[in-house]
Amino acid sequence: MTSMVANGTRGDQSLVLKGVDPETCMIVFKNHWAQVVKILEKHDPLRSIVGGLGGGHGLGGGGGLGSFRFGPVPGDEASAVQNYVEHMLFLLMEEECGQNGAMGPILEFVVMENVLERLFIWSLRREFTDDMKLEQLKMYEMLIGQARQPLLHHKPVLKPLMMLLSSCSGSPSGSSSSAVETELVLLLNQLCCVLAKDPSVLELFFHTSEDQGAANFLIFSLLIPFIHREGSVGQQARDALLLIMALSAENHVVAKHIAENTYFCPVLATGLSGLYSSLPTKLDVPSEEWHCLHREDWQQLPALVQFLNSLEFCNAVIQVAHPSTRDQLVGYIHNGFLVPVLAPALHKLTLEEVMTTTAYLDLFIRSISEPALLHTFLSFILLHRHDNVHILDTLVSRINTPFQLGTVSLALFRTLIGLFCEDVMLQLVFKYLIPCNHMMLSQRRVLRERDCYSVSAAKFLALTPSCCSPEVIPPPLRKLDSILWSKGTDGSHIGTMESKEVLSEEDDCGNSCVIGSEIYLDVSYLHYLYDAQNSISHCMRACRVWSAPYDGENPPPEEYQRNTLEEADLTATPGLLELEWDDSYDACPTQLHPEEDQETRPIPDEPPKHIQELRRTAIMIVKGSYIEESEFQNDVMVYNLVAQKDAHDSAAKQEMLDESVTDQKTTNSESSISNGLSSPLDEMDSKKRGSQSNHKSLEGEDLVAQYEELIRTLGAQHSPAKTDSELKSPTDLMDEEEDEIDFNSFSPETPEAEKLPSPFGTKPRSGSRGHAVPFTGPFLSVLLSRLENMPSNSLHVNLLLTGILAQLAAYPQPLLRSFLLNTNMVFQPSVRSLYQVLASVKNQIEQCSANNKDFPELLTAAQHCLLARESSLRGQTDRIKTKPNIQPKTVVPLNKTEVYAAVLFTEFLKELAAFAQEHSILSHLPTEQ
Amino acid sequence: VKPCWILCAFLFSLSRSDGEEQVGQGEQKSSPARPSFGKKQLPSIPKNAVPITKAASPAPSTQSANGTHASYGPFYLEYSLLAEFTLVIKQKLPGIYVQPSYRSALMWFGVIFIRHGLYQDGVFKFTVYIPDNYPDGDCPRVVFDTPVFHPLVDPVSGAGVRRAFTKWRRNHNHIWQVLMYARTVFYKINTMDPLNPEAAVLYDKDIQLFKSKVVDSVKLCNSHLFDQPKIDDPYAISFSPWNPAVHEEAKEKMFAHKRRPEDYNKGLPVSGLSWVKPGSTQPFSKEDNPLQT
Repeated sequence: MTSMVANGTRGDQSLVLKGVDPETCMIVFKNHWAQVVKILEKHDPLRSIVGGLGGGHGLGGGGGLGSFRFGPVPGDEASAVQNYVEHMLFLLMEEECGQNGAMGPILEFVVMENVLERLFIWSLRREFTDDMKLEQLKMYEMLIGQARQPLLHHKPVLKPLMMLLSSCSGSPSGSSSSAVETELVLLLNQLCCVLAKDPSVLELFFHTSEDQGAANFLIFSLLIPFIHREGSVGQQARDALLLIMALSAENHVVAKHIAENTYFCPVLATGLSGLYSSLPTKLDVPSEEWHCLHREDWQQLPALVQFLNSLEFCNAVIQVAHPSTRDQLVGYIHNGFLVPVLAPALHKLTLEEVMTTTAYLDLFIRSISEPALLHTFLSFILLHRHDNVHILDTLVSRINTPFQLGTVSLALFRTLIGLFCEDVMLQLVFKYLIPCNHMMLSQRRVLRERDCYSVSAAKFLALTPSCCSPEVIPPPLRKLDSILWSKGTDGSHIGTMESKEVLSEEDDCGNSCVIGSEIYLDVSYLHYLYDAQNSISHCMRACRVWSAPYDGENPPPEEYQRNTLEEADLTATPGLLELEWDDSYDACPTQLHPEEDQETRPIPDEPPKHIQELRRTAIMIVKGSYIEESEFQNDVMVYNLVAQKDAHDSAAKQEMLDESVTDQKTTNSESSISNGLSSPLDEMDSKKRGSQSNHKSLEGEDLVAQYEELIRTLGAQHSPAKTDSELKSPTDLMDEEEDEIDFNSFSPETPEAEKLPSPFGTKPRSGSRGHAVPFTGPFLSVLLSRLENMPSNSLHVNLLLTGILAQLAAYPQPLLRSFLLNTNMVFQPSVRSLYQVLASVKNQIEQCSANNKDFPELLTAAQHCLLARESSLRGQTDRIKTKPNIQPKTVVPLNKTEVYAAVLFTEFLKELAAFAQEHSILSHLPTEQ
Repeated sequence: VKPCWILCAFLFSLSRSDGEEQVGQGEQKSSPARPSFGKKQLPSIPKNAVPITKAASPAPSTQSANGTHASYGPFYLEYSLLAEFTLVIKQKLPGIYVQPSYRSALMWFGVIFIRHGLYQDGVFKFTVYIPDNYPDGDCPRVVFDTPVFHPLVDPVSGAGVRRAFTKWRRNHNHIWQVLMYARTVFYKINTMDPLNPEAAVLYDKDIQLFKSKVVDSVKLCNSHLFDQPKIDDPYAISFSPWNPAVHEEAKEKMFAHKRRPEDYNKGLPVSGLSWVKPGSTQPFSKEDNPLQT
């Protein structure tokens, strides 16, 4: 009884049937059917009605089903029917098409006699149990999967199938066993495959559904509940849905139906929210080096795997679906997932949660590829305001956070920059560069000039610290990697070459055209050139879709300035000027949209709640009253170290700035305690404050006095913070921090509170003056500011930073290229250029080297360590192929950050020089157009 | 016989230089090759070379220009020359084609086609030699393969046209100017400071004889057109008689190349994104079709 239908042992049968002539098959089939009919009729009191049903009218609703039940069917008769049916099915399946695609005789008989519908009613006649459903589902699955002629075109086949499906949907979800669900989805998937091969069937399905009363695309509706299911059932359902999506792209009626009459899009989008809520709110961070979710990470988290499956499904749907479905889906994702779920999650209260959300966001963006879906995510990041603050601004402000949040934020921006998205780059970088305020007026015409003689490259390379110079310390593997460079001078001497010149050069370089001096070059620089060329040309290709060249003329700087000034006037309301926590929120007021204006216009006097909350948390961390994790003590120490280091930096800056800006003192104490943003910000801040809040200056002077006192107690020498702090216990540091906080008289209710130091980078900054004062934007500023701390940054932070800057350096737009790579440009005094920052790093490294006689040995050892690290990563990156595998002799501990930084810095200079050189060629190729 | 030139293939490869593999002759596997301009780059690492332990010997000439690490001097030189070369391409000098040699970026092969005037139908191959302290040295030298009869071309060595740039000034003088000048002298004859005094005198005194000598000289030059290149170099310019089996395809590619920008975009997935309306500086300002195709 558990039958071949269930087991599907078709192979044996077909062997049996082979060679049997069709007529015999037909006779057997008819005989079997006659036997079946006998039993069917015997137990069917509504015999006459069956004929009526055969006429093609519907079931009359699920409620009517019960009426067929009439007395129990004896077991032997049921199994007799079952046996006959199995044989009949095999005969049907094995039947070939008739001539010219006509029905084979058996199929014709099936259609004429309405065999399948009567069998379905027979199964209803008995108890319609899960077993019965399974039996029927499997029957159709086999028929559809294996029949040699198309069956679904025939209503007498299609209709009972729809009735069966209908009855499966009729049962309240949950009551069906998982076996039935599995089978149902399998059958649906199979049906969709048939649809994909033969779209004409789609119409039939669609109209048959309509016959059922509701305009109901049954196959589709049945699949929807399985969209987010895990495991193979979910996967099959999603695959099947995708097939329908692809069909719907061609079929407007179906597409319209999906968009208007089904819950497909809302289920899909809100399902994301549901799945998101089951993700861990805090990740177990494997190591300090960790900064983004790699495959190995997320594969360990089933909830995340499931989420990504659904997200990838959304991506796939958007790729293939009809535009109406696509638009609806991205709308629901934006309004049903990003705004209500992800935005609050990005503003949770603890560092760990926020960091986790950031890592998720990064992963999500890396997981999607469809422009429409990216559009949704990116416009959410760029345009959506949570508590009046653009998500982007919040994210940028977090780059400067200590703890892993800063690193994870960096990784997110690495992803964003890697998208080559004009909108992202516009908001992050270009809108600050377009006005050309950051450079001297005379420099504007130099903007696009090419560096014919590699002057910039030479200047970058000249920053190589003396301790790292190739003459002083030959890199460990250079001798294997050096190349012979020959200067072919006069051609008349070269003519002696033999015809096998290619070989001869390999055989013995002595025979080749070596004339003049020979120089052994560092081949690693060739690799940098090669990589630079690849990334620049890739970037140039990608940027061909951009709307403007960003070359200092288009978009025109003047126009843009005017716009922003107008906007600045508009936004220069007293309320706004009080917002001091982060000027980046309104640094580009032009992005206000009319409709947004209305929402945002009454700008609250207080900073957004989440900012307050975050700040409160931060303060508690500093005060030591924030206990969340057992190892929080370490965090406190880290934070203190960062704060202390920043205090040093700021002290140095203050000395310089005090001379030029007289009213600086009023505010420097505040800005300097913040996260060491570079001086343009500080100065901007102070100018603005000085102009509008003279009444504060008394208090301010007091603050400066206390601040300087504090610096003294910390030891104001410019040595790296770490060496200092190693001597002090965390509690000592905390005490000092307490002092620092005291003079700010913290209280969350007063505006004063907003000037408190916060590890979230929401430091006091000025309001809407953004473009009046030269400023390259918070993103570039914060990157450079972190880069300046290279010697004390951990290796992985430096790798991220240099990686991001290298990625930025690949962009061909003259505005960015000239800012980063043209060392001859003259910028406004308040603008710090990459070159200046690098020069400062060089000095720090020189100092480290001078103060530590072991530095050269450490450097060599660190080089070995890094080479070993690289060769261990080589399998993944495959970037440099010729390095032999090496084991470092001595391992330099990672906390010797300045040693690693020196090695990395030297390599980074080569990388930048290579970019500068390649730009001088590629960006000026006449073929670029 | 209509000549078709290896040059075609070169120009084709050059035009695709941003990113695609070059259709380079003699591509070496061991090379750390850069795809574009590959062979104008540094020679490859000798495969069986003994590890060189000798310390870098700073050559005086390479320390010159920028006064930084000697070891990078050659890179600066290479890139300066590449920059010069891209400038030449950009100028689209009529009738002049050049390409750097395989062996050295300091030696460029060229050919010039004279389309009217006294030297009409002349096809003159030449080599440009660039001093190795470029751009701080002398003017690059142009040497014609066959010394054409011309007041400014040395009848023995073929050297010519140097005169125009007595002092080579970086940032002001570029190699395309030399090439441009080389072209001009065949259209506008100048007999001042001649390298071939006989030609100069003849031009001034007996223009008819001069003309007939020029015609002979042009014939002579063109008769050597299919000779093997004087300098054995994979990138030397060589001419061969029209051979459909060899040249037809290259010719087709050349003409097809004119439609390159579109083809190019179709062939490769465009990886960038933009929803900025042209003329706007607002993100996501494209209204009509917010979804990029």
